[in-house]
Parts: sequence; structure tokens; C-alpha cells
Amino acid sequence: MTTQNISLDYVNNLVFELEKAFWDERGKGARFRVTTVGRQYFRDRVLPVLHTGDVDHVVKTVQYALQCDGLLTQIDCVEDGRLLRIKVLGCAHRPVEERMVASGVPPFTCLPANLIALALEEKLDRPVELAEIKLEPTDGGETGCGMLLVRFDKRPELVPTKA
Amino acid sequence: MPETYTVADATLKVILDRRSIREFTPEPVSKEDLDKILEAGRQAPSGENAQPWRFIILKDETRRKQVAAIAGGGSSRRFTAEFVTKQMQDRFVNLADEAKKRAAFEKLTSGQVSAFVGDAPVIIVVCGKKDVWDMPYDTSAAIENMLLMITALDLGACWVIAPCIDIRDEERLNQMLGIPPEYKCVSVLSVGHPTRPHRPRPRLPINQLVFDERWGTPYYEAEK
Repeated sequence: MTTQNISLDYVNNLVFELEKAFWDERGKGARFRVTTVGRQYFRDRVLPVLHTGDVDHVVKTVQYALQCDGLLTQIDCVEDGRLLRIKVLGCAHRPVEERMVASGVPPFTCLPANLIALALEEKLDRPVELAEIKLEPTDGGETGCGMLLVRFDKRPELVPTKA
Repeated sequence: MPETYTVADATLKVILDRRSIREFTPEPVSKEDLDKILEAGRQAPSGENAQPWRFIILKDETRRKQVAAIAGGGSSRRFTAEFVTKQMQDRFVNLADEAKKRAAFEKLTSGQVSAFVGDAPVIIVVCGKKDVWDMPYDTSAAIENMLLMITALDLGACWVIAPCIDIRDEERLNQMLGIPPEYKCVSVLSVGHPTRPHRPRPRLPINQLVFDERWGTPYYEAEK
């Protein structure tokens, strides 16, 4: 990863404009086209230190990578059956989601949530769906986003075709 | 005696008769019919005449079931996400019959709403060339042309996007079918002989859809 500093506002403005342009083109279906955003970061920064598909380990591994890169302060996760209730605090990309909401567009992609989903899919071969992203009120200066992930039992099997 | 129609009336009849068919008899689709369907697709309008469409015909049952598994899995994920966030319940809020509502939830969250594609004797996979300005529109026009020909041939079909709407599923489909990176899978059509007639689905009144010169100015007068 390059160590050259660039303005976070510059990055977030670009991300917002790209997301908004994509939403304007693809509408509500946009969310399904960005489920793998973050894959390269996942391969470079998360996968090499990901040992199991245990949820606690996955969340801590993703949190550590993103903390080291100064992208967030904390990820909390509560398991509720097949649901994972994720709370991300201090995310550097929160202004993107704020601008999306201000534009009347529901946030439809989230890097930390994608990284957790990619990790669970990689280690457990279980499909994961990001069901919801909600901006949460600022809490003592710490800004948060709430995410709901759904885990599925198994990926649909593809029976091999005849040669 | 055969019914006689003007070309305009026959065209409108085919358009009005089209349904989304999800249940098929085992009877195969003849090569002659399939040729006509594909020719209808080939003749669709295309920006700059780029003709970005390519079609893959799937008859092999194992392959059809693989597409069905991808489609069903994707739909199950998306509709389950809608269910756990209560969006699905909101969508069905006006359905009073609780048993029907539960059945609808089950059909959607199980993925069966899309997994039926494997039951059709033929699946047409519609692919589009990416390096073209108007690919989504061109391929959609080709799909509609094929749907109308399918209807005219007394066959049935359903336009299904479930196997490729999520990029993760599209990647699996691309790999399974060997679709090269300069093309993308746009949709699949399940084609076969319908098991039964289907009623038309409701359409919004035309006076809510058409404006006169400027957005919001009704073109048609509201019904009294």
C-alpha cells in the first residue's frame, strides 16, 4: 500500500459521486453489483491473516486491518441466529453515506460489511447477504453505522456436468 | 377456420397474450421454433447496429439445474434480506389472507421463485458485449423480441435476471458457461410449453403513465 497521503475529502467525494452515478443508472439493483467491492483489499490485507471462519475472529481480523490503515476505530458484532448485527464506529467513509442519505439515496454498499461477508464466504463457503445499512446518530462524538448481515447455511451445489 | 387479424391487431394480440410462464410440460421445444425465436432476437434494434447480443442454448438437464441453483440461491438471499428487514412484510401489507402471505414469503425466501428455470426444457442465456454503448438496451430489445415470438408460437417463457443480478452469482455463471470477460451475462429465458393458461397481470392505468409535453401534465384525461 502506498504511503503517500491524499485528502480524505477528495477520496470520499469521488466515492460518493461514483456511487451516486451508479445508483442513478442502476437504481435499487445497484447494491447487488457492488457486493465484491473491497475484494482486492480483502486478498491483500485480510486473507493472509485470516485463519478460521469463526465470526469473532473474522470481525477482529477485519477490524485490525482497517484500524491499522486508519479507516475505522471499532467494529462490534452481535450474533443473532443467522443474523449478524454489525456496528462500525469511526469509519472514514461515513461522509459518503451521509451524502447519499442527504441525496435521498439509501446507502447500498459498505467496505467493512463486504470484507466480513467475503471472509465468511471464503472460510465457510456460506453465502452472506448485506440486508441493511443504517446511519446511527452520533454517539459522544463517535459516528456509527449499523449493518445487518444474513448468513445462509450453504452455497447451492452445482452438480458437475457430464464430460 | 383460422382467425384473421390485421398485422397491427395480430401484433397487439401477441403483446397482450404474453405471460411470464414458470411451469412447463416436459415436451421439448422444436428446432424450427427455436430458430424462429433466435432470429427474432437477432433482428432487434441496436445502437450503431453493434448487435452486442450472444445467446447460449442450454438443453442439458444438469446444466439447466446448475443455472437454477444459482438463480434460486441468489433470490433466496435477496428475498430473505427483504424479509429480515421487514421490507417484504411491507410489500404484502394489503394481502389479508395470512396463509397466502406465508406461502408467498416461503416461495420468495426459498428461492423457488427463480429456481423454476431449471424445469424448462430450454434455457436461452443472453449475453452482451461490454465494449458497446447501448448493450443493456440492445439486449433487452432482443429479449423482448424473443418473448413475443415465443408467445406467437404458443410457447411460454419467463425473463429471469436472478442468476446474474448479483455480481457474485454472475461470476459463477460466467465460469460455468465459459463466458469471456469482454461479455457479460444479462439474463436468461426459460422456454417451453406452458402447463396451463395464465391470467394477465394488472397494469397501471395509462392515464398515470403518459404526460403531455412536460412531466406531470396528463396526456390522457383522468377517468371520471
